Amino acid sequence: MLARRSLLGKPGFICRSCVRQCQSQLTRAYSTSKDNIYDVVCVGGGPAGLSLLTALRANPVTSGLRVALIEAQDLSKVSSFALPITQFSNRCSSLTPASAQFLDTIGAWTHMKRERIQDYHEMQVWDGLTDARIEFDGQPSSGAGKTLAYMIENLNLTSGLLKRLEELGGVDIFDNTKVQNIDLGKETEEMDLSEWPIVELSGGQSLAARLLIGADGANSPVRAFSGIGSSGWDYGRHGVVASLQLEGDGWGGEFNKIAYQRFLPTGPIAMLPLPGNHASLVWSTTPEKAALLKSLSPKDFIAMVNAAFRLSAVDLGYLHTVPEGQEEELSWRTQHTHINAETVPQTVVGVQEGTVASFPLKLRHADTYIGERVALIGDAAHTIHPLAGQGLNQGQGDVQSLAKTIEYAVSHGQDIGSTLSLEPYSSERYAANHIILGVCDKLHKLYAVESGPLVPLRSIGLKAVNALGPLKNFFMEQASANGSKLL
Amino acid sequence: MEAAIPRIRAVAAAGQTQLLRSAVCATCASSSSSSSRRHFSVFNRPQPNYPGHVPLTKIERAGLAVGASVMSFFDPYRHDLIAATGEATATPYFIYRLRDAMLADPTGRRILRQRPLISSKTLSLPALRNLPANSVGRAYVGWLDREGVSPDTRSRVRYIDDEECAYVMQRYRECHDFYHALTGLPIVREGEVALKAFEFANTLLPMTGLSIFAAATMKRGERQRFASIYLPWAIRNGARGKDVINVFWEERLEDDVDELRAELGIERPPDMRDIRKREREQKKRLQELKERGF
Amino acid sequence: MSAPSRPAGVLLRRLSKPNGRLLSSSTVPRASSRVFPGPVATSSAARWNSTTTSSSTSSTSTSSSSNFSSVNPDEVSHFNELAADWWDPHGSSRLLHLMNPLRHDFIRACHHTQADPPPSNGLTYLDIGCGGGIFAESAARLPSTRSVTAIDPTPSVLAIAKAHARKDPSLRNKLQYRQTSIEQLTIPTEEEAYDIVSLFEVIEHVDQPGAVLERVRPFVKPGGWLVMSTIARTWVSWFTTNFMAEDVLGIVPKGTHDWNKYLNEGELRGFLAGRGWSSPMVQGVMYVPGLGWKEVQGSERVGNYFFAVRKI
Repeated sequence: MLARRSLLGKPGFICRSCVRQCQSQLTRAYSTSKDNIYDVVCVGGGPAGLSLLTALRANPVTSGLRVALIEAQDLSKVSSFALPITQFSNRCSSLTPASAQFLDTIGAWTHMKRERIQDYHEMQVWDGLTDARIEFDGQPSSGAGKTLAYMIENLNLTSGLLKRLEELGGVDIFDNTKVQNIDLGKETEEMDLSEWPIVELSGGQSLAARLLIGADGANSPVRAFSGIGSSGWDYGRHGVVASLQLEGDGWGGEFNKIAYQRFLPTGPIAMLPLPGNHASLVWSTTPEKAALLKSLSPKDFIAMVNAAFRLSAVDLGYLHTVPEGQEEELSWRTQHTHINAETVPQTVVGVQEGTVASFPLKLRHADTYIGERVALIGDAAHTIHPLAGQGLNQGQGDVQSLAKTIEYAVSHGQDIGSTLSLEPYSSERYAANHIILGVCDKLHKLYAVESGPLVPLRSIGLKAVNALGPLKNFFMEQASANGSKLL
Repeated sequence: MEAAIPRIRAVAAAGQTQLLRSAVCATCASSSSSSSRRHFSVFNRPQPNYPGHVPLTKIERAGLAVGASVMSFFDPYRHDLIAATGEATATPYFIYRLRDAMLADPTGRRILRQRPLISSKTLSLPALRNLPANSVGRAYVGWLDREGVSPDTRSRVRYIDDEECAYVMQRYRECHDFYHALTGLPIVREGEVALKAFEFANTLLPMTGLSIFAAATMKRGERQRFASIYLPWAIRNGARGKDVINVFWEERLEDDVDELRAELGIERPPDMRDIRKREREQKKRLQELKERGF
Repeated sequence: MSAPSRPAGVLLRRLSKPNGRLLSSSTVPRASSRVFPGPVATSSAARWNSTTTSSSTSSTSTSSSSNFSSVNPDEVSHFNELAADWWDPHGSSRLLHLMNPLRHDFIRACHHTQADPPPSNGLTYLDIGCGGGIFAESAARLPSTRSVTAIDPTPSVLAIAKAHARKDPSLRNKLQYRQTSIEQLTIPTEEEAYDIVSLFEVIEHVDQPGAVLERVRPFVKPGGWLVMSTIARTWVSWFTTNFMAEDVLGIVPKGTHDWNKYLNEGELRGFLAGRGWSSPMVQGVMYVPGLGWKEVQGSERVGNYFFAVRKI
């Protein structure tokens, strides 16, 4: 507002605004620079950015917008994603039915490799210290065999979105391209772009954006440009991921897949089903333990994963202190540990080479999602602990809301870059995301406690929720929807 | 020398483990909730989890705990009653805690894995007598000889349901004589109570704590001595020292006992026998003086 | 932001305050953009009759007529600064910005009642009393719009509108501002007439609304629509705009609102009956704090409402 005020306060502005006087110049200026003027410039070609552009292109109301995508990576490699069905990428996400429905609405779902997507119908979550357990299955209220979520490789998702975008056309894609600088435009004789972000690309082009979308991840340059702060903390935890092979298709067989999550004092470990006997691992643990896990031989790594779902916290603590021999220790301890085999995932028998990796876990929340001619979506707006598998779904919720907001603005003649037009997006998503971030953060902290009164209390709480059908259904609905219903 | 001391009988122990394993795995439980999971009445007592195991109902267990502890209070030399008290009160929590203390320690884990047993068959007492004067083995056998006891006097664990925890209790019981050797506390009631106090602070097994009440049955002078010297020593060293359950005694027989104590962070208590002897002599002299008419 | 907490009617009145005397008030900075000059206008507005249509707005005092005497020339830059508030989404025009999309919904609803579809080669709009251009800009951005002509006699306000339009290159070919009044605008031929003529928050400020509506009539193409919004003369509107805003809260100088000029829906019907218009479309709207503007059936008898007639 300040900029605008001072601009208008300049002496002589009236003269410049005189249409008749400037008419010819304006025409000329516009024709020379209009190639670089876009309605939407999206920085970041991840799931959030690609979904947004696809949603805009697929909707007849917004398909008239001139849109550009800037992505640092080579997108041709992404769109040509192809792996044999015996191999899976280690970066997978859990898509809620609401997110999947949205992807279907914008026509992208059919472009995914469906044989690489695994739906699951049951979820087993338990406390590593007390064994208190909660079971979610798709039975209650909403009909039998309800899908809780879909496991999908991030690459499959982005590849499918890109194919849909190619089908729709009309997006100027600048891939293999970095954002060099973002600055405000200038007021010239011809037009006043002093409030428009101008994105300078490594290829030398400059794009003026009516609405600049920050879909550029946790360290969003767009967020930095717009001066939007973000608050949060690092968990001092790393997420260890791997693509695993199990002894079979799972206890429920091919058509009733189960996701497992055990809360260990260092963080939760989750085994999420992929097609066939494949599974995806996400193990939140301390950086030191993550380093040990990555250093283990495949057989000991496999033993550690099996141990993490079966053995006591004491045994696990010990196994993290030895550089090798986990397999042998596991086979001994399994004999003396009471395990109901069907309450834990089937035994891991293989780990796909080169898939054991880790990344630091953080909580971040931008102070706001919108600025003048700027909107943040996905990880640029919020980064969450992966324990509830909500990260990608929050991003999809953002995209759905922002696409709807832009559609409303376009159909009512609003400037889609003005904060007035963007307000509904921010007010719809901010509080909803904030609650989910907070709940997941509290869950992490609750289960990081190893002793004291909280341990039995949280078990009582979990058992109580498990016993109370309606309450459990509520949590389940929240977990499988995009979360906005929390409000 | 090495060959003269029969170490753990790994083969035998492993064989026994195999045997136990087959009988146990379906019902045995390492988690603390295992005992509560077992519901049965005296009419359909389940199969034992290991040879010698006597599954008890909760009521039986409570009755055993009360009865055996009351009786052993009045007759502290009834080892069988003390043992029964120990077993009846070790669950649900305490024996698992002790087992976890072993699992958290590399040596403790090896003991659990190999399950060595201490008896005159596994330890050659004559060989121990040939060890250097201040070695653990010599101290142990010296203590056995002085007290006139044998490593074979320990009864088998019967009332703990989890087979691994039953071994932990067995191990604790068999190592008890080594604790005497380590601390030098005699087998008299005063020494026994002091050692139980030390064990309680170190292992948290309830039976050892209950045994401290036996101090009430001691003579007044003993009780004063216990309260001023041995109880503070026991609590300080038991709590501060490392878990003595994790000492692989069979491997430490040749080590210097003072070094082992230092390693465990345990001070040697004042020699109870010396104190008692001095007091007795003092008493005797007083008696003599009285008799002489002073 | 304080804007949403204010009674809706107050703000709408502030935007359309007819009294030239108040232009110098710093409490109510906005120039009276919606004043309807001409023989049918109020006495104070009538003095603006001679306002030229020249687009040379560099000097308001000279380009305006000499009887625009209540305005100090120094005030122009002052208004320019304050008038920037017009486009501040959190400024005092916020409620008007929030109401604007409903105007389009209403026009769309009007088109839906037609048996024949609206022209496919793009609609033409004439926005009378366009002010800072909230409606005019939005109409020009619609893909279904061919062109928008927006007029307002007040130089400073029109300057705001023009400066703001420069910030959006897409408006350049579709939106034209003219500093003029409807009286001075040449009556077009039937072909050049407009598909939609809008009078948003204007009609209640004139002494003879019927005559104004008759003046506007030739600007509407046969089959086109005359669309307006105003406020009903009820105790609710008196309470919010006159009593609360002026007397109690004092956020608007006394005398800003002439409640007696508010128009009820039935009175508008009376002005238009039998003069070649279709039967009117009416939609009441209410501002609900926390929810925004809502269409509420029947509320046209209480407060703000949209009103449209199609030229037969």
